Amino acid sequence: MRIIKDTKIDFMKQRKIAFALSSLVILSGLVSLLINGGPKLSIDFKGGILVSVQYNEEIDITAVRSAMGNLNVDGQSFDFSREEIKKFGNPGAVLIRVPHIDDAPQNFAQKIVDHLYNAFPEKVPENKTDFVLGKGTVSPKIGSELSGKALMAIISSLGLILLYISIRFEFRFALGAIAALTHDVFVTLGIFSLLGYEISLPIIAAFLTIVGYSLNDTIVIFDRIRENIKLSKKDSYTNIVNKSMNESLSRTIITSLTTFLVVFVLWTFGGEVIHNFAFAMIIGVIVGTYSSIYIASPIVIQLHDNATK
Amino acid sequence: MNNKLTPRFLIIALVLTWAIWAIWPTIHYQSLTDGDKETLKEEGKLKLLESRTIKQGLDLKGGMYIVLEVDLPTLVENLGINIDNKFKRSIQSIREQILLTPEADFFTILTNFSNENNLKLSRYFYEYGSSNEDIITALSEESEDAINRVLEILQNRVDQFGVAEPTIQKQGNQRIIVELAGVQDSDRARSLLESTALLEFFIVKDITTTNELMVKIDQVLKGNKTIANVTESNQTKKRETLSNNDETVSVSELFGESSSEEISDSSSVAQDVNVEQPFSSMLRNLGNTIGVPVKNSYAVRKMLELPEVKEKLAALGGTFMFSHKAEDYPTVDGDVESVYSLFLLEDQPELTGGVVEEAKANLGPQGSTSAGQPIVNLSMNSDGARKWAIVTGSNVGRKVAIVLDKKVHMAPNIREKISGGGTLIEGFANIDEAKDIAIVLRAGALPAPVKIIEERVVGPSLGADSVRKGTQSVIIGLVLVLIFMLVYYRASGSIADFALIWNIVLVLAVLATLQATLTLPGIAGLILTVGMSIDANVIIFERIREELRKGKTPKAAVDGGYDRALTTIIDANVTTLIAALVLWQFGTGPIKGFATVLFWGILISMFTAIFVTRTIFNSFTGRKSLNKLSI
Repeated sequence: MRIIKDTKIDFMKQRKIAFALSSLVILSGLVSLLINGGPKLSIDFKGGILVSVQYNEEIDITAVRSAMGNLNVDGQSFDFSREEIKKFGNPGAVLIRVPHIDDAPQNFAQKIVDHLYNAFPEKVPENKTDFVLGKGTVSPKIGSELSGKALMAIISSLGLILLYISIRFEFRFALGAIAALTHDVFVTLGIFSLLGYEISLPIIAAFLTIVGYSLNDTIVIFDRIRENIKLSKKDSYTNIVNKSMNESLSRTIITSLTTFLVVFVLWTFGGEVIHNFAFAMIIGVIVGTYSSIYIASPIVIQLHDNATK
Repeated sequence: MNNKLTPRFLIIALVLTWAIWAIWPTIHYQSLTDGDKETLKEEGKLKLLESRTIKQGLDLKGGMYIVLEVDLPTLVENLGINIDNKFKRSIQSIREQILLTPEADFFTILTNFSNENNLKLSRYFYEYGSSNEDIITALSEESEDAINRVLEILQNRVDQFGVAEPTIQKQGNQRIIVELAGVQDSDRARSLLESTALLEFFIVKDITTTNELMVKIDQVLKGNKTIANVTESNQTKKRETLSNNDETVSVSELFGESSSEEISDSSSVAQDVNVEQPFSSMLRNLGNTIGVPVKNSYAVRKMLELPEVKEKLAALGGTFMFSHKAEDYPTVDGDVESVYSLFLLEDQPELTGGVVEEAKANLGPQGSTSAGQPIVNLSMNSDGARKWAIVTGSNVGRKVAIVLDKKVHMAPNIREKISGGGTLIEGFANIDEAKDIAIVLRAGALPAPVKIIEERVVGPSLGADSVRKGTQSVIIGLVLVLIFMLVYYRASGSIADFALIWNIVLVLAVLATLQATLTLPGIAGLILTVGMSIDANVIIFERIREELRKGKTPKAAVDGGYDRALTTIIDANVTTLIAALVLWQFGTGPIKGFATVLFWGILISMFTAIFVTRTIFNSFTGRKSLNKLSI
């Protein structure tokens, strides 16, 4: 069976449209980031408390909200009714996020759980351990350390990749690859911001995987270009790039398709915890495939043309 | 079969046999019932078996993950001799600096601070050297040692707590990570870990002194703007706090023969009392101790932290401490409210905890005041017993407060001199708490206080849900890919499928051998590996097809396809390996799990998708009769 027959698509001719499209998506992402004051960071990076609980039956979010408006612990009272309170997967599950409080009472997360448990006595499981889906408390200190580390991880992996490609190919290929990666990360970050999804530790892992995947894709095409440059020295650079893309198109489509298949399954069936991770991967697969064709290679051509002029 | 291929088949056979051998314990372990595990445990074989299985991370199994930080500033303060206010203030500003620059190392800040502010450390640490540099080196060694002791003590406590497979490890130079699988009761686990287990015995100041002090505090706070803020924020935070002023009493009533009628009388002057007596109006008379209703406790704690109040306390040589737990008392209007007790103690303890020899939790003996209540029986070593006899002997008729981690557990009257060093502590909420306290007392006090800076708890149902859904999606994804490859590449696809399945088995085998932990992101990593592995085969097969279209023989096409695909695959995989390694380096917990799986998955996929499939292809193309390739 063959899906892709011999194709002669002029990818490089479409690059202007592609640039416009990418700029549009990235710009709207950036605008959204600006409006929201940067990406929405999870407690992993900001510190704070996250509590998720499971009621026996469907629960009204407004009722939970008003219950959270009046929380008294050891003589301190708190109004969390305006914090993030939302459904978490099934109708009975609720997730609550509370910012870090400097002089919070001891074991505050558990106090919040207790309060939620006592607020709706007719809807809770008998055993309190069945009620708690999960809870987490992160001090802002550890959070800001982690942000630093995450940034370091992304920068150092980009640096190392740049180095590797420069050695194996040419520097302009490395620049093309890095441009494609940066494009992918910004598009994904922008889409996350537009949809109001938060950036947690697993999402950073997903971003780096996207980087790896997109690179994988880009390198396969670069490899073809490198090979074809050796074979046909007379042909124009643009023609070689176009030919290489058409030749590897079948592989690009099939690999993207299979990878898309698995992350899509993960997104659909993987459960609530892994949902956003899989979502980032789905965007990553699509954007990664797109960028290896329309971002990485055109930039290599551009740099080549500039150099030969 | 081609003779040249035999060594390749041998390698493959060996690797696959090893994989089955390595993964077998995990499969075996999964099939065990709880009863089987009990039997194995009795035979002593369970530990061995468990050490060879893939562990499930806390996100899959449910449990607690806690990061503790050793309080280095306090540790250093405790190590010093003749610590004065100047040093205390210095430590305070260092603490503030740490808050601003969380990544900075404490000892670096201390070095810079003491150099900039001309703080001569030799004044406080002359035992450790003379120059600041020497002292700081010695102190950081000392802290290293202290953290190792903390680790040991925590290990000891957790072992006695009885959790299966606890992990306690050091991270960096001031953190300890504790993972307790299956533990949900975070209150218990937290106090077990966080308790410094500092046991102290204080003499309680007499009632007259206490009364006089309270009058002074009221005077000092009267009209104070800060205190107005404290009570006001308390008011806005909690509307009912001051509307319940009918319970507030004046200081003269606190230790008088106050009855409930008198208390209710004060309601008419409540507002005045509050302004005139901001401190004592927050309190309640509990017979012969001071009570702090829980709803006022935050405001009272804040008041006691004010510098002018601290000054008064210091002048008197006393310190206030709260009781360990709040107890219920009836209110005037027939309700019940919980009330902490507040004690005024001498500021220096008579005796501290290094003297405990044995601690056991028990129920109070019949006929005693604590009959049927949970208690902890203490016995002291000879040194402690001697001191205890002196303390009790010279303070007959007074009260002694037994204080654990700055909370008063009880304050009994000393009736007579106690020799022999035996004593008991009461004031626990339940027998579990008494047991835990006994554990921490036996394991000894921590050399420095620790603080929980990160805590994550995954409930058992969420974990089970994640496992089920994670496994499900891996299997569905895998089956879809397998079917696709079969349809698209026919017989060749089946070779790729074979390689893919072995790829997964091998990754699991490596994880079992490394005793790695499989987390939810790890499962995601496994799925990504599936994608990578298939990609390698797609690249190869597309190349072979190209070669075939050029009219090459199956053998030449296969050889050409593999040769040309190889550099592509290596270049592509090395870059992903770089990303995996960086992730592994930077990541903690779940991220590390993801990186581990991704790293091994890619390495192994190069073996299965290139070496294994090629060997199988060659065994077919080696035959002379083959003139058509099913691809």
